[in-house]
Amino acid sequence: MNDRITVRIADTRPEGPKATTLYVDAGMEVLPGQFLMVADFAGGEKPFSVSEAEGGRLGITVREYGPFSRRLRSMEKGGLLSLRGPYGRPFTPRPGDCLLVGGGSGIAPLHLLARAILAAGGRVTVVSGARTRDEILLGDRFRRLPLDYHETAEDEGEGLTAVDLAARVMERKRPDFVYAAGPEGMLAALRPRLGDLDYQFSLERYMKCGVGICGSCTCDPTGIRICVEGPVLDRDRIEELEDFGRYKRDASGARVYFPGALPGA
Amino acid sequence: MNHSPNHSLRTEFLGQSLPSPLVLPSGILGMSHGSLRYALEKGYGLVTTKSLSLSPREGHEGPVVARFAGGVLNSLGLCNPGIDEGLREVARFVEATGAPVLVSLFAVNRPDFVELARRACDGAGSFIELNLSCPNVMDEFGVPLAASRDLVADIVEGVKKVCRLPVVAKLSPNALDLPSIALAAQEAGADGVTLINTLGPGLLIDTTARKPVLHPRFGGISGPAILPLALKIVHECSGVLKVPVIGMGGVSTGDDAVQMLMAGASLVGVGTAVWLSGIGVVDEINLGIREYLEREGIPSVAGIPKLETGHER
Ligand SMILES: Cc1cc2nc3c(=O)[nH]c(=O)nc-3n(C[C@H](O)[C@H](O)[C@H](O)COP(=O)(O)OP(=O)(O)OC[C@H]3O[C@@H](n4cnc5c(N)ncnc54)[C@H](O)[C@@H]3O)c2cc1C
Ligand SMILES: Cc1cc2nc3c(=O)[nH]c(=O)nc-3n(C[C@H](O)[C@H](O)[C@H](O)COP(=O)(O)O)c2cc1C
Ligand code: FES
Repeated sequence: MNDRITVRIADTRPEGPKATTLYVDAGMEVLPGQFLMVADFAGGEKPFSVSEAEGGRLGITVREYGPFSRRLRSMEKGGLLSLRGPYGRPFTPRPGDCLLVGGGSGIAPLHLLARAILAAGGRVTVVSGARTRDEILLGDRFRRLPLDYHETAEDEGEGLTAVDLAARVMERKRPDFVYAAGPEGMLAALRPRLGDLDYQFSLERYMKCGVGICGSCTCDPTGIRICVEGPVLDRDRIEELEDFGRYKRDASGARVYFPGALPGA
Repeated sequence: MNHSPNHSLRTEFLGQSLPSPLVLPSGILGMSHGSLRYALEKGYGLVTTKSLSLSPREGHEGPVVARFAGGVLNSLGLCNPGIDEGLREVARFVEATGAPVLVSLFAVNRPDFVELARRACDGAGSFIELNLSCPNVMDEFGVPLAASRDLVADIVEGVKKVCRLPVVAKLSPNALDLPSIALAAQEAGADGVTLINTLGPGLLIDTTARKPVLHPRFGGISGPAILPLALKIVHECSGVLKVPVIGMGGVSTGDDAVQMLMAGASLVGVGTAVWLSGIGVVDEINLGIREYLEREGIPSVAGIPKLETGHER
């Protein structure tokens, strides 16, 4: 009946200068790509994916963007969190050759996914990118897994983005399936590089209720709710969208165009 | 809608023919042309926009929704992109579907309501709903307007003067003597009444944190807990009104919807049930009404007999 619990943080782990993983013993099963609505009793309740799940202990990797995530990521062991969920449609792990592309905090759900694909007998290649080296999250975890791991910092060397690096990896070996999560600009840049490859992307939209009633997170023109029919969308669902890579909505519901996307139409 | 060819759910409302008596209530989805389309495709016969105000509102800091055994507490805080952006979404929806829209408006005084109505009447919507009743911004705006007969009448009258579209007044259950307020709205020219908005506000407490569950502390109560109250209010008000009533509050099953129709509603809103049972609940309720009509040999929704008024003591 009640889908909300209040738990104490069991442990924390710094992830470079901008992020922290908070561990909680939540006693719930969360599938890769699903999210929780997280609140700290000081104002704000926002969606976060689960990056690790082991024996009932969940990891939530919080990267600092604004006031709420800054407060959350500086919380300490013993601090109280309110968690609602798990919500949303998860990734579908496939047993084939899988390429996982993550940008910034988008890499968090892909860590849980990588482990699920490996468990299902699939082969995994991961491409992770961020603006600077120390903003690349969870690299140490991926390196411990039996998979092919690549990362790129945009302010170093050739300045490759995660999409550039993924394109190189795909030239060498064409995967059976691609999964991606990260800023929508990254996903929109990746899509044309995938040709006829099948994929699932995880989208981020402004969320308030997380359960499909407030309308905050809906996409146009189909009206699918990212908190229920997403956040993970199949290729077909994404190709129907007119807002993908163009605009999202803010807390009031007003359109916010992505840099470079033109209003009109 | 993907129903059998039987047309028994078709319902007339203020000159429009709707494929189902079920209404998407204001504040449920209804934020964008996409979400209005989504609701129509999931089986609602009429869709309502989020309540639109003159300026955009970001709404309250979360948590803004919480569940309890009887339903839901919410304090979204009337977030909306503002009337102009909202009307652009309505226009896109109407262009794509041709379906009617109930445009919900929200303000705290007569001049603002009149200005909103003026703009809405130039838009693509079919009807106007005046949200006179939201409890969850009370701190900001004082008692709900809908608690006062005079204020309700004054606003409805002002809006009717500038409005070519039918106007529906949405009233709050948090007032004494609702039939007299509903009558005042009708006398001022309202073409219909929507009953009820959320009850309360109420409070839920997190006992571990020892704090309110909602960050805004209090929130309006919706869902199954308020169904009996909604039925009683709809029954009492429709008994004295000539104009049609849109009944809502806790409707979650086909039988709940039939009860609402029998209580006197012409159309039935289904909101919170979308959280508690998923969006498929809309088609389940449509099916439930249809099965009732077939079982009772009633040809149409409008033919559902109204409950007789009892003797007031
Ligand atoms: C399904 C999903 C999964 C996510 N998983 C993670 C994760 O694992 N790790 C992580 O660090 N971040 C994740 N995020 C992003 C996280 O929700 C935002 O970083 C956080 O809400 C920012 O809040 P703020 O107050 O700190 O920042 P603000 O300064 O308010 O905003 C910074 C950015 O976050 C976005 N944002 C703010 N509030 C919300 C909201 N209520 N819903 C959605 N986006 C919002 C803003 O649009 C803006 O782009 C996820 C988002 C979604 C939708
Ligand atoms: C999350 C949520 C948001 C709402 N927002 C509005 C709103 O913006 N305007 C309004 O008139 N009513 C609003 N309401 C009230 C509903 O329209 C409806 O009157 C009430 O919830 C009772 O119906 P239900 O029990 O089927 O949800 C909201 C209700 C909920 C649950
Ligand atoms: S966050 Fe409310 S509908 Fe998705």
